[in-house]
Amino acid sequence: MSVIDAFVRSPAQTAAPSPGPSRLREGIWAACFLAPTFAFLVAFVYAPALLAFALAFFNFHPGGTASYAGLSNFHAALSDPLFWRSMANTGLYALMMVPSTLVLSVALAALLHANRRLFRFAQSLVVLPYITPAVGTAIGWLWMYNPNFGILNALLRDVGLRPIGWLNSPEWAMPSVVLYSLWHGIGFDVLILLSAMSQIPEGVLESARVDGAGPWTRLFRITLPLISPTLFFIAVMTTIGSLQAFAQVYALSLSGGGPENATLTALLYIYQQAFTNGQFSYAAAMAAMLVICIFAVTALTRWIGHRFTFYQ
Amino acid sequence: MRTIAYGLRAAAALALGLAFLLPIYIAFVTSIDRPQDVFVYPPHLVPDWNFSVWVQTWQGNTWMFAILNTVVIALTTIAIALATTVLCAYALVYIPFRGRAAVWTALLAVLMIPEQALLIPNFVTMAKLHLVDTRIAQILPYGASVFGVFLLRQHLLTLPREYHDAAKIDGCGHLAFLWRIVLPLSRPVLFTIALYIFIGCWNSLIWPLMVTSSPRVQPIEVLLSTFLTQDSSNWQGLSAAAMFATLPMIALFILFRRPILRGLSKSSGING
Repeated sequence: MSVIDAFVRSPAQTAAPSPGPSRLREGIWAACFLAPTFAFLVAFVYAPALLAFALAFFNFHPGGTASYAGLSNFHAALSDPLFWRSMANTGLYALMMVPSTLVLSVALAALLHANRRLFRFAQSLVVLPYITPAVGTAIGWLWMYNPNFGILNALLRDVGLRPIGWLNSPEWAMPSVVLYSLWHGIGFDVLILLSAMSQIPEGVLESARVDGAGPWTRLFRITLPLISPTLFFIAVMTTIGSLQAFAQVYALSLSGGGPENATLTALLYIYQQAFTNGQFSYAAAMAAMLVICIFAVTALTRWIGHRFTFYQ
Repeated sequence: MRTIAYGLRAAAALALGLAFLLPIYIAFVTSIDRPQDVFVYPPHLVPDWNFSVWVQTWQGNTWMFAILNTVVIALTTIAIALATTVLCAYALVYIPFRGRAAVWTALLAVLMIPEQALLIPNFVTMAKLHLVDTRIAQILPYGASVFGVFLLRQHLLTLPREYHDAAKIDGCGHLAFLWRIVLPLSRPVLFTIALYIFIGCWNSLIWPLMVTSSPRVQPIEVLLSTFLTQDSSNWQGLSAAAMFATLPMIALFILFRRPILRGLSKSSGING
């Protein structure tokens, strides 16, 4: 059972029944074996997750004292135009990322799906950006996006179009970040689609071919329905990842979220408030609201996904 | 007709792959161009092989330190996380105990909690422990790898159940079975998990950015981001520095393409 299966449906447990006198001893062994993992998880995941919410309700003062703040941090965030701007930017980013990731990854996987040397080489090149560091590769992109010397504007000029300001213009900055993110992340989606496609039984596609189904029909009527759990997984993961966008905007906007706050994502704003302005409680309140949004959107996506996912 | 279609498809696939390489290639060319070839139109695509900017950039900042920091942090994280992962996955597969479903749910829950929500409280924890601006602070939060547990558990479930039954009959305890049978049979998976953690450490940005402030302990991505925000018009220097951060990952990918791709296609993209 893969992680994808675990994600989309609850896994059946593979526990072996254990009646008898050894039960207590086995329980002790299990506790000892699980303890290290759970010690780390409690200290750095479960407890902080609870603490994250608690922090938002207190204000901390330089002397080391704290005072109960009630909902004041939440109120402050809700009347902060930059918080709304950052949430809207994040939503816009997700709205651009999710559909384009789905369409592009399917298109690329359909093109690259072949067990030949050249195709495996091309697959590797598409996946490569996924394991490269975001800041390191963003530098090459900043150079490509450069309005005066970048290759992208050179291409636009060559085909007779007007050059674009890319990251320097408020309206093109976010699409530019999306383009970079697609380049950086889509290899992973293509790879899991390819692995899902390779699990489709040859016979199914072959008999469709014999029955006269063309390549497009086979793609839309057979391949896509059969890999719909993977598509759904990609949709959920891209949604969650988009709402948490940070490294790409941090690098491409030189940590500022500009121009004119056009690329200020929620997480970047939270980071700025916490670590540039030292407003930990305010940042925690905004982080809590972002997490609630992420949970809500994930639940919604899962609900929609379950209605459109075909399980074998 | 069939072969023409195949040829077109192969050409498209190859062109696509090369297009994905282009942004890295352009930074590479910029970093080794002669200065007069950098700001030209149309952009320069054939390098001059002039490595003087590399030398200059390397000497101008503490890259060696940053790379050593990153490697030390990564290797320590790998050692701790592999140990916790092996024990946890073993217990989930080979030790029958009550509450296994609850443990599984608790592990799945980790995947649902966005890492970013944990950053501020984890920073507070590190401040309380006086670990801010240390390498340890960059290691501890990744001491347990849920991704690793999933991957290893999945692998252990494919091993024949008879091994365990036979070992039990021969009086082999959990530790001996783990050490003599499970570990040797899991080497490739453990290697994949280790690669993953290494890549995750090399590429991690936001947590080290928050928890460190001095170059003495900072990893390469953080040093690079400092360079980028302070000196954003030094294109050649930046491109050379970008190569210092990117080329080791490309080398790793060329060396270990198979285990990396195998791990990726089984993972859900969780780092660390």
